[in-house]
Amino acid sequence: MAILPTRNPILSAQNLCVESVGAKESFPVLTDLNFSLEPGKILGLVGESGAGKSMIGRTISQYLPKGFAVTKGTLAFDGEDLVSMLPERRRNLLGRDIAFIPQEPLSGLNPVLTVGQQIKEHLLRIGLAPGENWRERALKEFESVHLPHGAALLEKYPHQLSGGMCQRILIAMAFASRPRLLIADEPTTALDVTIQARIVKLIAEMQKRDGTAVIFITHDLRLASQISDEIMVLYAGRPAERGPAKQLFSSPAHPYTRCLQLANPNISGPRRGLFILPERMPGLRVLKELKGCRFASRCPNAIEACTQAEPPLADIGPNHIAACIRTEKTPDIVPPPMAPGREIASAKIHLNGEKLTKAYTTAWSPFAKRSSFKAVNSVDFSLGEGEFVGIVGESGSGKSSLARLVVGLDTPTDGRITLAGRDVTGNGNAEKAYRREYIQMVFQDPQSALNPRRRIGSIVTQANEASGLHNSTRERMDRAAELLKEIGLPPDAAMRFPSQLSGGQKQRVNIARALCTLPRILVADEIVSGLDVSVQAQLLDLLLKLRDEHGFSMLFISHDLSVVRYLCDRVMVMYRGEVVESGRTETVFADPQHAYTRSLLAAVPPDDVNAEWSPVLAEAGYQVE
Amino acid sequence: MRMIATIAKLLVKRVLTAIPILLLVSALLFCILRILPVDPAAMSLPPNATVQEVEAMRTEMGLNLPLYQQYGIWLNKLFHGDIGRSIHFRQDVTSLIGSTLPATIELAVIAMMVATVFGLAGGLFLFYVRGTRAEAVMDFVSILLLSLPEFLWSLFLLLIFGVFFEVLPFTGRLSPGFERPVVTGFLLLDSLITGKISTFLNALQHMILPCLALGIALSPSLMRVLRSSLLDAYQDDYIQQARLRGLSEKRILIRHGLKNAILPTLSLMGVQFGFLFGGTLLVEIIYSYPGMGNLMVDAIRNADLPIIQGAGLTYCVAVLVISIVVDSLYLILNPKLRVR
Repeated sequence: MAILPTRNPILSAQNLCVESVGAKESFPVLTDLNFSLEPGKILGLVGESGAGKSMIGRTISQYLPKGFAVTKGTLAFDGEDLVSMLPERRRNLLGRDIAFIPQEPLSGLNPVLTVGQQIKEHLLRIGLAPGENWRERALKEFESVHLPHGAALLEKYPHQLSGGMCQRILIAMAFASRPRLLIADEPTTALDVTIQARIVKLIAEMQKRDGTAVIFITHDLRLASQISDEIMVLYAGRPAERGPAKQLFSSPAHPYTRCLQLANPNISGPRRGLFILPERMPGLRVLKELKGCRFASRCPNAIEACTQAEPPLADIGPNHIAACIRTEKTPDIVPPPMAPGREIASAKIHLNGEKLTKAYTTAWSPFAKRSSFKAVNSVDFSLGEGEFVGIVGESGSGKSSLARLVVGLDTPTDGRITLAGRDVTGNGNAEKAYRREYIQMVFQDPQSALNPRRRIGSIVTQANEASGLHNSTRERMDRAAELLKEIGLPPDAAMRFPSQLSGGQKQRVNIARALCTLPRILVADEIVSGLDVSVQAQLLDLLLKLRDEHGFSMLFISHDLSVVRYLCDRVMVMYRGEVVESGRTETVFADPQHAYTRSLLAAVPPDDVNAEWSPVLAEAGYQVE
Repeated sequence: MRMIATIAKLLVKRVLTAIPILLLVSALLFCILRILPVDPAAMSLPPNATVQEVEAMRTEMGLNLPLYQQYGIWLNKLFHGDIGRSIHFRQDVTSLIGSTLPATIELAVIAMMVATVFGLAGGLFLFYVRGTRAEAVMDFVSILLLSLPEFLWSLFLLLIFGVFFEVLPFTGRLSPGFERPVVTGFLLLDSLITGKISTFLNALQHMILPCLALGIALSPSLMRVLRSSLLDAYQDDYIQQARLRGLSEKRILIRHGLKNAILPTLSLMGVQFGFLFGGTLLVEIIYSYPGMGNLMVDAIRNADLPIIQGAGLTYCVAVLVISIVVDSLYLILNPKLRVR
């Protein structure tokens, strides 16, 4: 990096502390935060959920959750303290000088107002040039974020648009006022890899145009290191490490940074094992009592001294600091070796699909001609015993529709499914019962997949209700105890309700429920998306361990290519309802034959921080949106 | 333009489905009332009529025909706007309903307006004071209001404003001595059209107590639904995003919060308005208000079958019309329901 003359920072925090101020006691959420951000720079904030990343954004806007307040330190925007500022003055800055891009683009826009009404409201607030028409201005802003058909877009409602388009609209709105500071809180987590790549590139492009300072919040260290100038890794509300992005990523000094990096599967080179961060981040209550390093309980390098006193942030290079007393030991942390690949070729075929097609037809109406749309189009596939097959593709590519056909939630319009030698295409009651014995499904969102009013013990043994076997309370509680042990939850979890578990624990329960009657095949639809990399690594290893014990096979649907590469023996790439490429995972990813596969792979941020990331390939024919 | 087309589609669809519903209801009304141990022929003759005279009357009225034929005749007459003649009042049912229905519609519409004003204002206030001590107080008040039925309100208001303070009239639609203009049957409207301002004001005074009683009784559930839908809407990202764009809280509430939260409130209002048509009954009796409610009570007391049938059908039509209106409003307010 070239040495630039030091400019006045646009945002600077000094000893910033945010606490939850309860009636009796208070808990720290952010502790002693120091950083400064210069105009035109991007600061990446990385950490697991609960690390306090989003809290920084909320502190800047001062829309803190109820009961939280800044208790110490200052947070200055262009020299003015945001905390002590009059609310009217601060509100005036928001949306004009300080802009935000939200995590969920679809819910970030009001569902009952058109895009035009919303952008008009915003443009009128930030003020137009004299004689300027809001409509012309809106179209100009849409053009700068590469949104085609701007005029038609103004009449649309958010639900008529894709997530990527909504996010572009929100970016256009955010940059309309040429803000000096932009806070992007996980702006691409809810989006496909290809869209993610384009949105990130777009933010970078706009940021360069206006010289905006950006805080980019993400849980993906690899992505952060690609886009940021500087990265701050947060752990339990305190900075663990801060430094220039490339340097921090290529030689992390804090064990936490290293562990995060190794918990994420790689996308190129030989497959390596994942570092499994044990347990989870200490809760607020525990933190307050804690004397030593916050990370000590999960740190592979922890020694006695680590639990004695909180380590100070020490210099370890130019502009690079880390809160660890044993930074020299960090490079020693290595992931376990990768389990040897399985020889699948000889395996018995369990499940077979021939020319599977699912067409959806619009409902009958006297006013319109019925139209039909093929969600799955003539797909052939097979699943062998003990084999994990990944299905990748963007949203709308037909991955989930295929899964629904396999588990029998939908009946194919055409084609044949055979399961262990029996034709189950018809999906009558007999086929359903037969299928249930063989196949179980794990759903994406454990939050909504688990009935909040039932105890974990009864949730995981739900399958016994359907089969009617071993359905006495005694038998079910015994089975629940076995299942909980297998997925690594304490036995007393059986009596708890889903709301009393963490996201990762809920997803384990979700897996345990599918395993209850020992099915031969699992169908898993995006079961690790939206989870922290640490939890993701725990779950991926759990699945591999369970396969070793029970030998089931799995159809694993994911938009995350590196996860599929780590977990699956074979992969199928889907595009607009068709399988465009399939084969052994390593072969397909190392030498993709189809242009669409290549564009998917190119969209993933590379493992090597110095490699060039050029996600938008010229093959424009394969851009869904 | 697309919105108008969508609403037109909805109207066509709903009117088409309304036809079988009305046929079914009319058949039910006809059959059930035939099963009642009441002989319309005997009732329309003086008590000293002989058995022969009753038989002759039965033949004349077509009561000795099979039931389906009777229904056919009745239905045919219905199509020509003839619901029959009231046995008790010796008047055409159409003209009886024609004179009482507008009174009830007037009562129901104004009561609904009162309920809407109270409900929206109360809901917004409940939401505004969320998390404060005032919320607990308001919560208590709204539950208290919710637990009082409309006839108790009627009696309270009548006693306080009518009997004790003597500031408002509490019987009928007009004080004696006022001339009643008849154009549309809607008293308030007619007096305005004909320029009789004193009649209008007098009629309005008569409306205050019954409408307040009904409105107050309906408003607490509206308040509570609006409050909880506002709380739900405020959980959504777009509210947070609007704040982060620096919009004022007032603007966020009116333009972003309320516009989303009004939808569940609107569907509750539709349900309430439907109930209101049957629900004005007690209030009409307490205030001697000459509406459908009073007519129904008289009809049931005298086993006046034609009126009961006519009133039942009127009620059915009213509910269908209200549901179509509410659904159209829903289409206008909720873009997600419109076809892409």
